Amino acid sequence: MNQKNNLIVGIIIALVVVASYNVDANPVEFFEGIPNLAIVAKEMTHVEAELFAIAFWSMFETIQMAFIGTIVGVAISLPLSMFAARNLNNKYVYGPVRAILAAIRTFPSILWAILFVIMVGLGPFAGVLAIIMYTVGFVAKLQYEAIETIDSDPMDAVSSIGVSKWQLIRYVVLPESAPHLLSQMLYMFDYNVRQTSILGLVGAGGIGFYIINYIKFFEYGKAAVFMIVVLVTVLIIDWISVKIRDKYIIKSQHGMEVVTK
Amino acid sequence: MRSSISTISTNKIIQMNEVWTSYDSKNYAVKRVNLSIDRGTNYAIVGQLGSGKSTLLKLMNGMMSPSKGTIKIDYQKPNMNNKQFKLMMHKIGYIPQNLGLIKNITVLENTLIGALPRMNKFQSMFKIFPDEEIQEAKKILKLVGLSGKEERKAYMLSGGEKRRVAIARAFMQKPTILLADEIVSELDHVTAREIMNLIVDAQKRMNLTAIMVHHDMQLALEYANRVAVIKDGEKILEIGVEGDKIVDFQTGDLTAEEIMEMYSNESKK
Repeated sequence: MNQKNNLIVGIIIALVVVASYNVDANPVEFFEGIPNLAIVAKEMTHVEAELFAIAFWSMFETIQMAFIGTIVGVAISLPLSMFAARNLNNKYVYGPVRAILAAIRTFPSILWAILFVIMVGLGPFAGVLAIIMYTVGFVAKLQYEAIETIDSDPMDAVSSIGVSKWQLIRYVVLPESAPHLLSQMLYMFDYNVRQTSILGLVGAGGIGFYIINYIKFFEYGKAAVFMIVVLVTVLIIDWISVKIRDKYIIKSQHGMEVVTK
Repeated sequence: MRSSISTISTNKIIQMNEVWTSYDSKNYAVKRVNLSIDRGTNYAIVGQLGSGKSTLLKLMNGMMSPSKGTIKIDYQKPNMNNKQFKLMMHKIGYIPQNLGLIKNITVLENTLIGALPRMNKFQSMFKIFPDEEIQEAKKILKLVGLSGKEERKAYMLSGGEKRRVAIARAFMQKPTILLADEIVSELDHVTAREIMNLIVDAQKRMNLTAIMVHHDMQLALEYANRVAVIKDGEKILEIGVEGDKIVDFQTGDLTAEEIMEMYSNESKK
């Protein structure tokens, strides 16, 4: 390390210290706060067993919301991504579609949730709508990028037969991009379960709704139980999607085993 | 091996007149090419890598259009946006150099793609192939030597088998013209001849005009009725072959030495 590097590291450390002072980030408070966790842990042991039933039920609701949101979102984004792919359309088609998708993506899901709570009232339906919008904006982009990377040989060979554009999509684009589309759908579901868990914070249903209420009434033990349920569920879903990915997608990309439908 | 051309020699299925074309504005991939191909014959186009021979095939099925000159395919001007020519395209089986098979679907499904233009919207949307098309596809797969492998996924096949699937797909179109880009290159001697025999046999039965791009002059002379040699986008030589004899020999603007040099380059490969 030379003089100049030392100086840069020194400046960065100084900046962190100054910024911490500005935002009241005090490490001493962090260590003093650790015993508070023990209080939470102790409170957790006092919660009634029925609470777990409520926690799992609300987690199940969250998963269902994420499931509907992912499936409907993908169903909407798939045709949109066909219009947004540059290798299937001219710029007067893909330009506007991409602009719309980019506009949808600028909103994080929590803002969509607030908007839909205003529209359809409190409850899970607002959350489902928010997840759908977020999924459309995000997955459509991944999908049209996957479609654009399709090998041009089958496209040329099949379009030279004189097939219609719909036949080209049905028989070349979909089968050729199927492993990518499935992989993106799994990723999106995984992500949506986590997202839906916090949409309750704005009253859009799901497990987050309970967590925010317990925190409001200082029932940290109950809130912690719900958080642990979220943690365990997300880990399980993650593990399942890794298994599915290994079985179908990774192998298909290496030409060993393949999903078409 | 060769089909007879005596009675139909005036029937030109492909005519190219002073054709030029380019991928960019500066360099022409095809320069001033005149071709006329008789119906029912096997026509070979031979040339080295980048000589413009693949481009010639793309001009013949309307995937590319000439920047100068005229092309007539069965007395029609190729144009992908023209409804009339789209019907014509269905009658042109085109096998690109990389075959263009869809790797995630089965051999049978790949073959049935050749029947797509004959199907209505409902059938093609739900993959409901009519029984007679499935029977036809199975018959063709048997013909190309793939019976029993109908349900294999395309990526599981060997190089020779993949070429047979591409041929089956083209035959499924019930074509009048078959365009094949280096279909037997990279194959071993025996497999290459098996596949050439397959095409030539089917050609006689279906009165098909086959236009095949090769880089092996030997193979072209062995199977074709006429051989055109392309160099740097120009046709420098055209030979008519009957049995083991060369019956017609036309040169372009090249001298004898240049042609001999071309030959020796070809045989070195």
